[in-house]
Amino acid sequence: MAKILLVDDSALARRILRRCLEPEGHQIIEAQDGISALEAYFLEKPDLVLLDLTMEGMHGLDVLREMRRLDPSARVVVATADIQESTQRMAQEAGACGFVVKPFVQKQVLEVVGRALPAVGGPATAEEG
Amino acid sequence: MILSEAQKDGLTELLNIAFSRTAASLSELTGHRVLLSKPEVEVCPVDRLQEVLGGVLPSEEVATVHQIFGGPLAGDALLVLDMGGAATLVELLTGEAVHGPVLGASAGEVLVEVGNILLNSCLGMFGNLLQVHVTFSVPRLHLESMASMLDSLIIGQEEIRYALVVATRFVVSESAVGGYLVIVLGVTSLDRLLQGIARLG
Repeated sequence: MAKILLVDDSALARRILRRCLEPEGHQIIEAQDGISALEAYFLEKPDLVLLDLTMEGMHGLDVLREMRRLDPSARVVVATADIQESTQRMAQEAGACGFVVKPFVQKQVLEVVGRALPAVGGPATAEEG
Repeated sequence: MILSEAQKDGLTELLNIAFSRTAASLSELTGHRVLLSKPEVEVCPVDRLQEVLGGVLPSEEVATVHQIFGGPLAGDALLVLDMGGAATLVELLTGEAVHGPVLGASAGEVLVEVGNILLNSCLGMFGNLLQVHVTFSVPRLHLESMASMLDSLIIGQEEIRYALVVATRFVVSESAVGGYLVIVLGVTSLDRLLQGIARLG
């Protein structure tokens, strides 16, 4: 099971994701903005990050780019209300390895998380969520 | 500025698709069927904006999630709920009773996230259909009279003459939740929107 960092300025969104993931045995840590997310990432070394885009302070895409710049192996799934295909492309170009849209449905979240988590010894690759 | 029949038809169809995506999101969130009325579309001079919106929206105190959007299409998007409906919606989503006439911080946060999801669904569908990228601000919750809230619309602060007002009423079945989705676009964005719709046809 994996350690997963949830980054969203909405406590409701974080609660919903936690409810999706904890029953599968994942360990959850949370951050509510980009700066806290970067701090938590390097302190906690999570296996995966689920990252919102529209947040106070740093935009999620900037958080993603910074995280990947500092750790090119960072695995980040964008989890957003923005359903635009252009946004999905931008997330992929910034290095996201998955994309899931709100409102979150547990089955979809688990599928995207399952694809994004590394197979034993294998690298994660960018793909659509 | 008057829309032709073809423009109005194209615009209504685009709105139907976008608002249907929004209704589907609300239905997924609440677990209830969501009924939508036909969108009302009006192009009006900016100085009549408050009057036009005032004719569509309830005049009492309302809970409004306001999100400014930008890019090729720029304007204001609003999710408007009466206070009772807002409290019921929070209860549906959290399973916790909302006490008192004033919504607390926790209830407010839930409403902001709901507004974020619904407004993004709608405007994101616009972006997908027209193949433009829409950017979103962080949504804000306003708990005040409709007149005060309308003062905060960004679109009214620009030097533009006309605005497109689109409003639809929705009802979450088997609940007392009802509200409005409102989009206000300036004339430049309206022109881009109409050009995009024309290309689709």
